[in-house]
Amino acid sequence: MKTYGTKLKKLTSAIYPIAFGVLIFIMWQTQLLHKLLNTDVYILPLPSRIAEIISDNSSKIMENVISTVEVAIPGLILGSVLGYLIAIIAALFKTYGSGGLTVISAFNAVPIVALAPVITNWTKDVSPEASVRSFAAKVIVVTIMCTASMSVNAYRGLTELKPFSEDLMKSYACGKGKTLLKLRLPNSVPYIFTALRVSVPSSVISTLVAEYFAEYITGVGRQIRENILTAQYATAWAYIVVACLIGIIMYILLILAESIFLKNRRQVLSIK
Amino acid sequence: MSEMLKNNDVEIMLKDIGMVYQADGKDVTALTNVSIDIHKGEFISLLGPSGCGKTTLLRIIADLLHPTSGEILVGGSTPKEARLKQRYGIVFQSAVLYDWRTVKKNVMLPLEIMHVKKEERVKRAMKMLELVGLTDFADSYPRQLSGGMQQRVGIARALAIKPEILLMDEPFSALDEFTREKLHEDLLRIWRKTNKTIVFVTHNIQESVFLSDRICVLSPHPGRLSAVIDVDLPRPRTAELKNTREFTELVAKVRNSFEGV
Amino acid sequence: MYRLKRIVTSKLFVTLIWILGLIIIWEVCASVVESTKRTPENILPHLSGIVDSIFSDRKVNGSQTAFQMVLDNAGATLSRAGIGFLIGTLCGFVLALLMNLSGIAEKIAFPYLMLIQMIPILGMAPIINAITGDIAKSRIIIAAILTFYPVATNTLAGFKSVEREKHELMYSYAANKLQIYIKTLIPSCIPYFFTGLKISAPMAITASILVDTLQGGIGLGCLLSQSLKGAMTRYVFWQIVFFSAFIGIMSFCLMGIIEKALTPYKNNRKTRKRV
Repeated sequence: MKTYGTKLKKLTSAIYPIAFGVLIFIMWQTQLLHKLLNTDVYILPLPSRIAEIISDNSSKIMENVISTVEVAIPGLILGSVLGYLIAIIAALFKTYGSGGLTVISAFNAVPIVALAPVITNWTKDVSPEASVRSFAAKVIVVTIMCTASMSVNAYRGLTELKPFSEDLMKSYACGKGKTLLKLRLPNSVPYIFTALRVSVPSSVISTLVAEYFAEYITGVGRQIRENILTAQYATAWAYIVVACLIGIIMYILLILAESIFLKNRRQVLSIK
Repeated sequence: MSEMLKNNDVEIMLKDIGMVYQADGKDVTALTNVSIDIHKGEFISLLGPSGCGKTTLLRIIADLLHPTSGEILVGGSTPKEARLKQRYGIVFQSAVLYDWRTVKKNVMLPLEIMHVKKEERVKRAMKMLELVGLTDFADSYPRQLSGGMQQRVGIARALAIKPEILLMDEPFSALDEFTREKLHEDLLRIWRKTNKTIVFVTHNIQESVFLSDRICVLSPHPGRLSAVIDVDLPRPRTAELKNTREFTELVAKVRNSFEGV
Repeated sequence: MYRLKRIVTSKLFVTLIWILGLIIIWEVCASVVESTKRTPENILPHLSGIVDSIFSDRKVNGSQTAFQMVLDNAGATLSRAGIGFLIGTLCGFVLALLMNLSGIAEKIAFPYLMLIQMIPILGMAPIINAITGDIAKSRIIIAAILTFYPVATNTLAGFKSVEREKHELMYSYAANKLQIYIKTLIPSCIPYFFTGLKISAPMAITASILVDTLQGGIGLGCLLSQSLKGAMTRYVFWQIVFFSAFIGIMSFCLMGIIEKALTPYKNNRKTRKRV
């Protein structure tokens, strides 16, 4: 009886949001949404039309998706590794390290993507190929965006240890290096995922924005802009939907990885 | 002492109380066949190891849980009616104070909810703080107080609504031994002054012997009442009582009454 | 000796050293750029050049100096960011309240809250503009949407963090729903609410500037893209970068100051007293 009840509960918690989504979808398709927003099918095309465009241009869209993912993922990895290394250095030299992280976390408040155009200037000499130059510039933007959240969170993971665990390591006569390896690094794993939960979506978004300013025209973000400039709203919408899908798929992959790596751990839920 | 109490009114009547939880699709019996009459003005302890259902029993009295079988009457009415009439004061294991309120305002909180007039609120809060010996700290914030002082504020808050029954769920278990001994004497003094009925949940045998008129010994798996022991030590009690032979013998008697632990 | 050590390891001193270090690195790079590139202000100008340009009284567009223009446009951008921020904060708080009040509302809204993060709102600026038909309005909406998510999730976390005992206490007082919210839940969630505000305040400003760059009109971002296109001196661009960084950090600090003013019980760090 009870197990039946919990199953029912799980089912309803899925049904409500799905029902809501279907409702919006129907309102959209039947143009009720357009009346509410006081707009027309030209600016807000019907879902069927968007789906049609996606299927008609699948190969071109795929090309742009690959170009976007090729920037987002290396940027995410580079930024996260860099952020983690900064966190380790900061954790080893605590007094100056934590001060440095205060300065780095202040970068969170700086519109780094606004620097994208200048970074394009920086990479002028990287290669004679515009596509390579643009690629480097975009990766730099995404890297910077991902570094801050990883370094701040990983630092917490490396330093916010269980009470007395540091004393325990000392009693084993462990040096700084051993303590780092056996205690700090394992302790920081959940915090890495906290950081990734922030930086995975932001890596996609910053890739899209970096594409707007890039020299070489490619990527989902740039396609959104180009199509809007030429007033092809339906195509722009198709790319917007694709951009959302990239973010969602990457996020789902992250959650899956998290459930494997943190199987036996308490989740760190606080987002910083 | 117990003879005298039997003549008094019954404040809380528990009859054949049973509580069955469901966990992972299986029935877990938390309490079975518990019957106790708690008298007006009595200090009664519910004593037992973890898992014996003592907190469950307290929560049933407080109307925070509903028993799956049995009957409970509080002053002749249901626990819900008693709660709505604000006859309960509850003290938890931690003080559960509101960080953003001063000590005085913490004590005033239940009075605000009951729409007591402002002057009356302040007057009553100050009286309660005097009772627990914290007059000087009325305008401090909870963070500035030690654990023992925080728990005193919790007691003052529980008493502020002038409840007939004080329900205490392991209120001193997080405190150090020295603070706890001090609070034991204070609690007995407050009890003598206010004449409340106190139901006191604990897993500390000495504590229950020192404080109570009667001890209900609960045993686990399934939670059941395995003994009721009268404590006929003289009152008022002071810490010296703990050095007497009568006290030690009673502690031994209580310890021997546990089954299946 | 001891006192010296205390000063050297104090938080303020460490931060100052870091800022000094960053300035030195910047200047070294700028010198390298200056000696190798033809137009250093396009890549990395000296900080002194940027400061000079702020105080220079040379008119850039006939009537205004560079800094006057920046301030003028900043007013437009910041007011839009501010209005959007307020709307987003209000909506976020109300949604968190609704989600906490009703299990159904929570179930419906939760997955969509996650989804909002994935939508490239910035890219949709022109479409939102087309729907609303007004540039200022569309930018306010975007700032509001970006503010909304952190405020809603953090406030909800604040509601959920209230201990079970506090709920039971209110229950034993026979408190009604309104009293529970006013006396317990809302005051408890204030620190969480401000965590959300601290994230979203700089974000609202950043977003406003970025959205400006994608469209015309008046605003810091528009000025920024004009400067990049060479319509005026490149120093205007650098002024905007530093100005927006400053405003972003200030907005974060402002939220912290408001939080401190609202939660005096947290500042009071007198020594603990014993019985």
